[in-house]
Amino acid sequence: MDATISATIPQRKIISNGMIAMVFFIAAEAMFFAGLISAYIVNRSVADAMPVIQQPRLPIEITAINSLILILSFVTLFLFSKKYKTESKSFFLLYITIIFGAVFIGVQGIEWVNLLHFGFSTSSSIYGAFFYTIIGAHAVHVIAGLIILLYLSLSLKKDKSLESVKNKIAICSLYWYFVVSVWPILYVLVYLT
Amino acid sequence: MEQLTHHKKSFFSQYIFSTDHKVIGIQYFVTGMVMAAVGGFLAYVFRYNLAFPGAKIPFFGELSAQQYNEFITCHGMIMVLWVAMPILISALGNLIIPLQIGADDMAFPTLNMLSYWFFVVSCIVLLASFFVPGGASSGGWTLYPPLSANAYRNTNPDFWSALFSGNSMMILAVALEIVSMLMGGINFLVTSINMRAPGMTPFRVPILVWFLNIASLDFMFSVGPLIAGAVMLLLDNVIGTGFYDPARGGDPILFQHLFWFFGHPEVYVILLPSLGAMAEIISVFSRKPIFAYKTIVYMALISSVLAVMVWAHHQFVSGIDPRMATFFSVGTIIISIPFAGIFLSYMATLWGGSIRFSVPMIWALGFIGLFLIGGLTGLFLGSNSFDIYVHGTYFVIAHFHYTLFPIVFFGGFAAFYYWFPKFSGKTLNDTLGKIHFWLTFFSFNATFFVLFFNGLAGQHRRINDYAMFPSLMQEPYITFEKISTIGTIVLILSQFIFLYNFINSLIRGKKAENNPWNAATLEWQTQSPPPHGNFSVPPVVYNGPYDYSMPDRAEDFIPQNVQSEKK
Repeated sequence: MDATISATIPQRKIISNGMIAMVFFIAAEAMFFAGLISAYIVNRSVADAMPVIQQPRLPIEITAINSLILILSFVTLFLFSKKYKTESKSFFLLYITIIFGAVFIGVQGIEWVNLLHFGFSTSSSIYGAFFYTIIGAHAVHVIAGLIILLYLSLSLKKDKSLESVKNKIAICSLYWYFVVSVWPILYVLVYLT
Repeated sequence: MEQLTHHKKSFFSQYIFSTDHKVIGIQYFVTGMVMAAVGGFLAYVFRYNLAFPGAKIPFFGELSAQQYNEFITCHGMIMVLWVAMPILISALGNLIIPLQIGADDMAFPTLNMLSYWFFVVSCIVLLASFFVPGGASSGGWTLYPPLSANAYRNTNPDFWSALFSGNSMMILAVALEIVSMLMGGINFLVTSINMRAPGMTPFRVPILVWFLNIASLDFMFSVGPLIAGAVMLLLDNVIGTGFYDPARGGDPILFQHLFWFFGHPEVYVILLPSLGAMAEIISVFSRKPIFAYKTIVYMALISSVLAVMVWAHHQFVSGIDPRMATFFSVGTIIISIPFAGIFLSYMATLWGGSIRFSVPMIWALGFIGLFLIGGLTGLFLGSNSFDIYVHGTYFVIAHFHYTLFPIVFFGGFAAFYYWFPKFSGKTLNDTLGKIHFWLTFFSFNATFFVLFFNGLAGQHRRINDYAMFPSLMQEPYITFEKISTIGTIVLILSQFIFLYNFINSLIRGKKAENNPWNAATLEWQTQSPPPHGNFSVPPVVYNGPYDYSMPDRAEDFIPQNVQSEKK
């Protein structure tokens, strides 16, 4: 390589710093959920009966509808990231995504209150402990995702550079995609089987 | 570019809440040394008690059985998570990675600063746990339930007193430490991927940078399950779930799996940076290119994959299916192959080199010799039939310290003596460095070599006073305990030589040259200490990191950023 040329060429980053960081962070997060899920599966495989007979049933149907709302938020965010333009600044689809996420968390919260009311708590059975820990861990991630999306909507308003905008949207939505993609696995494992 | 604007900064933003990777690295190093002093003091107290049970310990007083348990637990945790991790990963990574790849700073300087302050908070939480009612965590450093779950300690605490119990605070401190290391690890990876100087192709990166990144990857891949396990343990402690309570359908073995899924790769997370630093030092002081550069990198990659597949070899006596035990035995013994490959490459580098016995070099050679003993006894322990006999004895203690002590202290000191001139701009006293090495070397061996025999005789590590088990405590094992304790005391005292040398050289040391060791890697091609922004001219890389023994040059090496006349 010629010295003068190589010194003047700026470093070309194929993937932005933030994107790489987010990918590694999500990989670590995925291992966290893998730990919880494998603990749950191992525990189920040796338990006598799970869910425990005397305990209240989990609300499968309402959660199914709730899951659909969360998956819809995936779609709206995807469309937002495809259609967003710096000139028009249309945030409609992003706000819809945030509202869907908030509805999901709200319905989950109401479900939890009902379940606690029926006597299904963290210490009532090991099943309850796993339910609240796994679903709670996911809920914390959804809330974190909502905060990230809110931050995105605020920071996009100020940002004028197309490259930086595209990058921000890609990084923030990647986290949301991860949070949404984990949910069907948890739903099938914890609610259905 | 930002680094070119040298605006004046206040003392706080320059030295306390600094975002400069060099300052953060030094902060990590100093904090790690302080924690090492705490961990070393704990070791001194319980070692003294083991040799002279019930005696009044100088500088401490009498050690109760409960305190003994607290001290061995916290000694283990502190030395692994609060000494080895900050010094070998965070300090070394922060100081070296940007300089060796020719970057001006880390990819995320603010995140880097946050990472350090999370680490400080975790240190405070851990140290505070000694002073809460009930004392610090005392169930062994692996935090196995039921000993680490309050429900089993005949107390039924409310939420707040459960949260501020020794066990919960230990878990919180570990969690904070992990958060800090995750930030650091992500930073290292992004920096090494995206911020390399022009011409710094992947196979021109020094081996230390490779190893730090492989270690970070291993850490990030394995830490998730530990967080899951720790969350469950914290919930067991604080809000009364029964994840690890067999009476309520839980399973204590589950925690062992989640813990060791992290705990075993953790050994390699600590080992790899140290081995990487050895590669730099051995190559420089043999004046030879490192032997089989690519093989070393591939071996480390293989070992990092194998590392997450062998964790259950720590659980051969906790009720494991014999077929599984065989699988993990074989895996454990296989993992010695890549490390044997790396070690043989280092030996081949020494072979025929023009070796200079400088202070960093003798520490590096000491590391290789001692780690070999640790590695070879590891082969014994990897075999499940033998492990069942010695599990939980001093044989394991001796093996573990023959691996971890050379990694952290011999490797760490080698790196310290090697890079000190670069980051302080001062020269250390060579004679004191050599005295420090020989005293440490002999007292370390005195401390741990005898424990192999005590372990084979059946002595168990978690017994504070053998008055109840006289059959386990006969001659010569009583004498061996005393030799080990005297070794510990000499070992700790000889570190004061290092401390004196460190402080004295900082104040009165000779000014260091930019490249005192004639090394080829990039960090030696800038000033000592490097300015803010590291390089006054952004470097361009033309050569590999180990181009020594060049016959057609005035010096025998080509710096990485110098174009050779004919290629």
